[in-house]
This record gives sequence, C-alpha cells and structure tokens, in this order.
Amino acid sequence: MSQFLESIAFNQWILHALVLLPLAGAVPILLGEERSAKRTALAVTIIELLLSAGLWWAVDPAEGGMQLISSAPWIPRWGISYRVGIDGISLFMVLLTTLMMPLSVLASWTSITRRERAFYALMLMLLTGLVGVFIALDLFVFYVFFEVMLIPMYFIIGIWGGANRLYAAIKFFIYTMAGSLLMLVAIIVMVWKIGEATGTLSFEYEHLLANARALGSVAPWLFAAFALAFAIKVPVFPLHTWLPDAHVEAPTAGSVLLAAIMLKIGTYGFLRFAVPFFPQVALSPEVSRLIVVLAVIGVIYGALVAMVQPDIKKLVAYSSVSHLGFVMLGIWGVSVISVQGALMVMISHGISTGALFLLIGMIYERRHTRMIEDYGGIARAVPLFSLILTVVALSSIGLPGLNGFVGEFLVLLGSFRAYPWATGIATTGVIFAAAYLLWALQRMIFNRLDNPENERLTDLNRRELAVMVPLLVGIVWLGLFPGPVLRRMEPATQKFVETVQPNAAVSAGRMGR
Amino acid sequence: MQLDLSTPQGVMLGLLPEILLCGWALVVLLVASWRHGTADDSRLAGWLSFAGVAISAAALAWLWLSHATPLGLAQMMALDPFRYAAAALILVAAGGTILLSLGYLERELLLAPEYYPLVLLAAAGMMFLAGAEDLIVLFLGLEVMSVAVYVLAGYNRGNVSSAEAALKYFLIGAFASGFLLYGIALTYGATGTTNLSLVGAQLAGGRLSLMAGLGLGLLLIGFAFKVAAVPFHMWAPDVYDGAPTPVTAFMATGVKIAAFAALVRVLLEGFPAAQSLWQPVIAGLAITSMIIGNLVALAQRTLKRMLAYSSIAHAGYLLAAVWTGSRLGSGAVLLYLAAYGLTTLASFGFLAALGRHGERTVTFDDIAGLATQRPWFAAGLSICMLSLLGFPGTFGFIGKWYILSALIAENQIILPIVLVVTSVISAGYYLPVIMSMYMKAAPSEELHRGVRLFPAAAGAIAVSVAAVVLFGFWPSGALEAAVHSAGTLTQTSAPVARQ
Repeated sequence: MSQFLESIAFNQWILHALVLLPLAGAVPILLGEERSAKRTALAVTIIELLLSAGLWWAVDPAEGGMQLISSAPWIPRWGISYRVGIDGISLFMVLLTTLMMPLSVLASWTSITRRERAFYALMLMLLTGLVGVFIALDLFVFYVFFEVMLIPMYFIIGIWGGANRLYAAIKFFIYTMAGSLLMLVAIIVMVWKIGEATGTLSFEYEHLLANARALGSVAPWLFAAFALAFAIKVPVFPLHTWLPDAHVEAPTAGSVLLAAIMLKIGTYGFLRFAVPFFPQVALSPEVSRLIVVLAVIGVIYGALVAMVQPDIKKLVAYSSVSHLGFVMLGIWGVSVISVQGALMVMISHGISTGALFLLIGMIYERRHTRMIEDYGGIARAVPLFSLILTVVALSSIGLPGLNGFVGEFLVLLGSFRAYPWATGIATTGVIFAAAYLLWALQRMIFNRLDNPENERLTDLNRRELAVMVPLLVGIVWLGLFPGPVLRRMEPATQKFVETVQPNAAVSAGRMGR
Repeated sequence: MQLDLSTPQGVMLGLLPEILLCGWALVVLLVASWRHGTADDSRLAGWLSFAGVAISAAALAWLWLSHATPLGLAQMMALDPFRYAAAALILVAAGGTILLSLGYLERELLLAPEYYPLVLLAAAGMMFLAGAEDLIVLFLGLEVMSVAVYVLAGYNRGNVSSAEAALKYFLIGAFASGFLLYGIALTYGATGTTNLSLVGAQLAGGRLSLMAGLGLGLLLIGFAFKVAAVPFHMWAPDVYDGAPTPVTAFMATGVKIAAFAALVRVLLEGFPAAQSLWQPVIAGLAITSMIIGNLVALAQRTLKRMLAYSSIAHAGYLLAAVWTGSRLGSGAVLLYLAAYGLTTLASFGFLAALGRHGERTVTFDDIAGLATQRPWFAAGLSICMLSLLGFPGTFGFIGKWYILSALIAENQIILPIVLVVTSVISAGYYLPVIMSMYMKAAPSEELHRGVRLFPAAAGAIAVSVAAVVLFGFWPSGALEAAVHSAGTLTQTSAPVARQ
C-alpha cells in the first residue's frame, strides 16, 4: 500500500485535495439539477473518504511531529502562508470527519426535501472547513477555516432546522463568533510580540510554538482568549447553553456533524494551540484547578440534565456536555495515557453520538416526534432499529468491549494521579450515563407497546442500514482492537506531553509504554 | 516624474484628474441644458458623466504610475500616492453612484439630468479635500463637495423626507464648516501658515500654544461632523434615510473616504507634534461611535436606517485606525475605506432595487423569502452583510484584521477589544438580513415581483461584490497598495512601525 501511495506522490497532494475536492464538488451541485444534488454529494464525500483513507498508511506511525507539510505563500508581507500538515492527533480528526460526512449525506436522503442543491452544497463547504481546520498549520489559515465553517452550519440550522431554528442559528453563530474574535486579537498580539522578539513576523504554527516563551507577561491574557474561544466550542460548562438549542433544532445531518466533529474542534484547539502555546499558564495550579473543576461539573451536570429531558434529542445533546468533560479532564491530566484517552473519547463520542443522532433522525422521520413518552415498546415493531439503538447506547455508556469504554477508562486512569478527587467524582459520570441512557431505552423500546401509532412503524430500510453498519463496525472494532489507533496517536501525544511538561515527560512517557 | 509646481504647466498636470472632472461636469451641464426632460436625456447625461469619471481615472492612473512627485514642497495639493489612492477610491464611489442612479432616477421619475454633473462636481470637491496640502484648499474642496451633496440629498423635491434630509444636512453641514473654518483661522493665527507641512514644522519641538490647541480641537469637531462620529452623528440617520438611495450610497462612501483621507493628512502632516493631544479625543470618538452606532443599529427596523447607523459604527472602526497615527494605521484607513466603500456601494445598490416606486421604507420583513425567488440577489446581499460584519473570506475581514494589527502594533489593547466586541454586536443586525432572506418564507408570491435591478446597477453591484470576495481571498495586492500609499505621508514624530 505504502509503495503504491508513494508511486502516485500521494503525500504531496493529498491534503490539498481533501480541502479542494468538496469545494469543487459544490460547483456541479449548484449548477446541476435539484434531483441529482444528493447523488453528486454522496459521490464526492465517498471519494473524499477513500482519499483520506490513504492517510492511514501515508502518515508515519512512529513520527510524532507534523508530516506531509506543504505550504504556499498567501500574504507574504505578514508572513502568512497557506500551510497544512497532519500528525497523529489531526489524522483521526480528519478521518472522523470524512467518515461522518457521507453518512450524514446518506441520512439526509429523504429527510431533506426542500432546496436540496443548497443543502448539499453547504454540506460540502462545511466539509472543506472542517478538514481545513484540522490540518491548518498557520494561525491565520486556522482562524479563517474556524470562522468560515460557521456559515454553512448557520444556514443548515436556520433553513432546514426545527421550529425554533432561527433563534438557535443566531445563538450558535454569535456565541462562536464572540469567542473567535477575541482569539483573533490574541493571535495578532502573539504574532506581533513574537515578531518583535525574533525579528520574523510569521503566523506559522511551529514558529509561534517555538518562540511562545518570549510572550512573557501577556501570556495569561492570550491563553484566556484562546481558551474562551475553544471552551465555547467544546463547550465547557457555563458556556454550553448554545449547544442544546443548536443540536436540537438542527436537521439530523447538522446535529451529527455538530456533535461528532464541530465540538471536537474545541478540544482539538486546546490540544493543538491553547495548551502547547502557554503551558506555564494552562498547567499552572490555578488554571488547572479551574478547568478540571469545570470539566467535572460538566460531566456531572450534563449527565443530570440529560436524565430529566423528555426530548430524546435534547438528552443526547446534554450527554455531549458530559462526554466532552471527560476530554477536558484527559487533556489536563497531561500524561500520555490521559491524552490518548481524551483523543479516544473524542473519536468514540463522534461515532457513538453521531450514531445516536442518526438513529433519532430515522425514527423522527417516521413518527415526527422526539418525545420519549410518545414511544414505548417499539422493539416489537422495529426490532432491528431497537437492536442497533441498544448497541449504540451501550457504546455511549462505555460498556467494556465497545468503543466508549477505552477512552473513558484511559482518561480516568491517566488523570487519577494528577487529580485523584476530580477523577473519582468524574467516574460517577459513567454511572449517570448508564442511568439516563438505559432509562431512556427502557421507556422507548421496551415497556409495553401501547400507542397504536407506534405499531405501524417500519423497520430500517437498506439505505439506513448502510448508514449504520460502518458506525457499528467502528464501535466494535475500536472497542476490541484499539491498538492500531492508539499506536498511531502515541508519538504525537508523547510530543504534546513533552512540549507542555518538559520535566514530567520522562516518567509519564515510561508509564505510557 | 517630478512636477515643478511653480509653473502653470506643472500645476495643470498635477491637478489633471480634478481639472478634467470639473471641465467634464460643465460640458455635461451644457449638454443637459439642451437635452432636458425625457428619460433618454437623463440616461445620456448619466453615461456621459460615467465617461468623465473614466477619463479622470485615466489621468489619475497616469499620475500614479509615473510616480509624480513635486519639485520641492507641495504648496496647495499633495502629489503623493496617498492622494492618488484616496482619489481612486472616490472615483470608484462616484462611478458606482452614477451606475446605481441610472435606473433609479428613471423609476422614481427624477428626470432632471443636472443630477449627474452634481455628482461629478461633488467628486471633484472630494478629490480636492482628500489631496489638500493647504487648509484653504481643504476648505474649498469641502465646500464644493458639501454644496453639491446638499442639493443631491434633496433631489427628490416632491418627497418631504428628502427635503428634510437636504435641509438638515445643509444646516448641520454649514455649522460644521463653521467649526472647521474657525479651526483653520486659529491654526493660521498660531503658526502663520495654512500649509500643512509648514504647520507641522512650526509646531514641532516647542510647546503647543493654546491657540494651536484650540485650532486643532475645532478642526477635529468639524471632521467629526463630516464623518458622522458620535456624538456629532445626530444628522446622519435622518439624512441617509431621506436622501435618494444612490445619493445615500455616495454620502456613505465618497464623503467618508474624502473626509477620512483629509483627517489623516491633517493629523499626520499638520499636527504630529500634538499627537498626545488628539489621540485621546480620537480614541473617545472611536469608542463611542463603535458602541452607540452598533447598539442603536440593533434597534432599527428598516434596512436603510440600519445601514445608516452601521455606517456610524464603521466610522468608529476607521477612527480607531486613525488613532494609531502610524504608517500602518494610515494604510489600514485606506484599506478599510476600500473594503467598506465597495461593500456599502453594493449594499445600497441592492437596497435601491428593493424599494418599489414611491415606497421608500424596506423593513426586514419585506425581504422575507427573497432567496427562493432571487437567489443571486440574496447571495450578493448576504456577501455584503458578511463583509460589513468582517467575516473571513470577505474584504471586510481583511480591513478589520488590518486595523486590529495596526492597533496592536502600537501596544493598544482597549480599542481592539471594543472593536471586536462591538463587531459581535453587529452580527445581531447583519445576520437578520440574511436570516430574513433565507430562513423565512415570503408572505405572498407577489412580494418580490417589483424587485428589479437595472442592468447598469447590476453591473456595478456585481463588480463590487466580486471585488469584495476576490480581495477577501487574495488581499495581497490591495495590502501592498495600501501600505505603499500610506508610507509616503510625511510624518515626523509618529512612531514608525517595523513593517
């Protein structure tokens, strides 16, 4: 495989292709016919998935740094270039994105009936933005991708969303923008200060990372700005209020992408930028305490609020707040194990929550209600659906043998040394997760089938099965054989830990092996 | 190329763009006095005037490309890239205004062709204002511009709000001119000269006299009126609202470009020694304009008033760039003026097409569901709104980013934070435009039947929107031009940025 990839110079064009292909694909959709839009979109996203699969072999698993780097000058006077690269952290984010996208397109097949061309073109633009944000190695480019992605999502929520979509769309937009604009100020300050100290004005990631120590006394402010932008995106506890609105009002594809990928941009931002740039601030006792406390509050609060939701979609939305709390805890655990765990939670949450939203979308299409109480006993009417929902729910709970377990276990294991109390409390979050999901399952698919409308439900069709099977495979595969994935993450997480904690890295590294 | 400004020949060449524009305006006026009355006549005058703008632009391009500089000190008019850049922007605004007016005047039955020579004369006044090296020329330019624009604002004589706009603009404008003139007189009294460079030389070193300080203060008040900075903005919403829409576009772009170019030149050439005096004033104006402009815009229900208040907010952003007093900041002013000018021109162009005959107020609800019936129209207007919001991928973002950079280069942090926070607020009124067009259903099929873009206006708008997107993605050319143009402003005490 590697030889074949080398023979086509895969490494040189793949990242550019992944960004440009969806944009190019949007053109025939916009110019073409309404009916063929979804087919074109599906074809483009599948090609994108196949292309990105090559990255699995192209990325050297032993190398911790950035690979496949390529850059082209953009605004030379300011040291801005279109610079992209990939490492063991971003690799999985990109793969997760390219996997969820064709599934989202397929899931929208019959549920999106109005203005299909616009919908699928926006989906492809979103794909460009999402891939771009994970591979950008220039802060200006990163910022542009980070912001530009808002527009397609804003339209997807606002046009094809539920009853309260306008409110949800604008809230989503303004929350994210507020954080990111302050981050823009921080980026410019950082570039300028480092430019003054080193004599080179550049937005290049490695340059800034290498010289971030020159920032001195402004570092806490800059960290605060970065952290705010990413914390809104994650979302960290008090900043999460946009999430239930956006997730619930968005159409299925929008919720899937929001939960599976866009939330990860926040945690990815912490891993890639906020923490490595300002480790002395981020890992100072005060800040870590604050973040860890907020993360644990998020874990518990998200789970408790999820428990009382009458709306299944809202329940899943709040469960994201809970899961992402684990990721934050894992990042601040700063050991190779905990960071790997955080990454694994990011991936599994993407797959499991994405799958949950997809399943909710499928049942909603049939019954047009998301209220748990309207269902009950549907296992008898739709056995296949119920089986898959059960498996996915169990994976989300973190049942050993399925994907959710690996990440949460590693996070708890890796963070325990640093924050025994917080980790102990977070563990209860796993129990709460079991409670809210199993209780919801019980009310929805078990119990008695007493509503005659539910008797007429039809089971999953072939298209819907095609959506779910890849996710089920992922759920089981990651649960049973996480090794290859963990191995590919390890050098990059090792490097992360070394960057942010030069002294502790040795011991943590040994533990990691 | 060096021009000897002591010879008539040199002066003629140095002022070629302005002279051509004024002369051409008189020719068009002459034509208009024979061909007067029908729609064809109005159209003829319009296209003739557009040709005049093109000719003037050609002369300007010749001056710029041959790097015309004065032999010795520039006496009356500057001969530097800063003037050329500002003049180019003014000509773009004037040309765009003419194209927008062609169909609009026919629809509104405003068929007096004198409209177009007035636009040309106003543009000439703006160019004098933007390039004035002498305070008297500056005042002359300001008055030529203002008188022409007063008339244009009241061009729709049959309409009460248009007449009100003209009267209000005239009274407040005259008042502001008074301040400016008094400021000029005091400056002359303090320094014995009206030439900006000489004023700067006189004031350098020694302590600033009370008279010079007063002169500076009054000049600032005059400019603040002209650029509609809070608290001197009260006239702007009513005037913008009442004037015919293409004239509003001209006021929001041309007048602002000229006034800001003049303000930058006066402060950097004439009063660099007083930087510690004018910086707090400018910062105060900038902050209040950003906050008040954006907050009040949130409360507007009609698009035109919303754009009027948003233009006050944009004046605030520009003032923040002026505050720096640096080369980078002047470059940012030019760049932002270009971004804002192109976007505003297109926005008002769309607005003009939305207003149906006789009905001047377009509310947010009136554009509901526009996207399904007029997809290109809606996409264009959305791009404009995003550019005004400063969203990446548009020219507006590049402008805002550059202002932020210029401020941060001066170690200023309060202005950038106010700027970004108020930008977030502005999302609260720019996004509803997009929301209304895309996410709400049209109440009736007939609602958008009257929406009609005339070919000339459509061309101008299409070019502007394309430029907004193009410069959003490939800003390097525009950045270089702005930096280069700003670099030539004489400055003595202002700290020079590294880049």
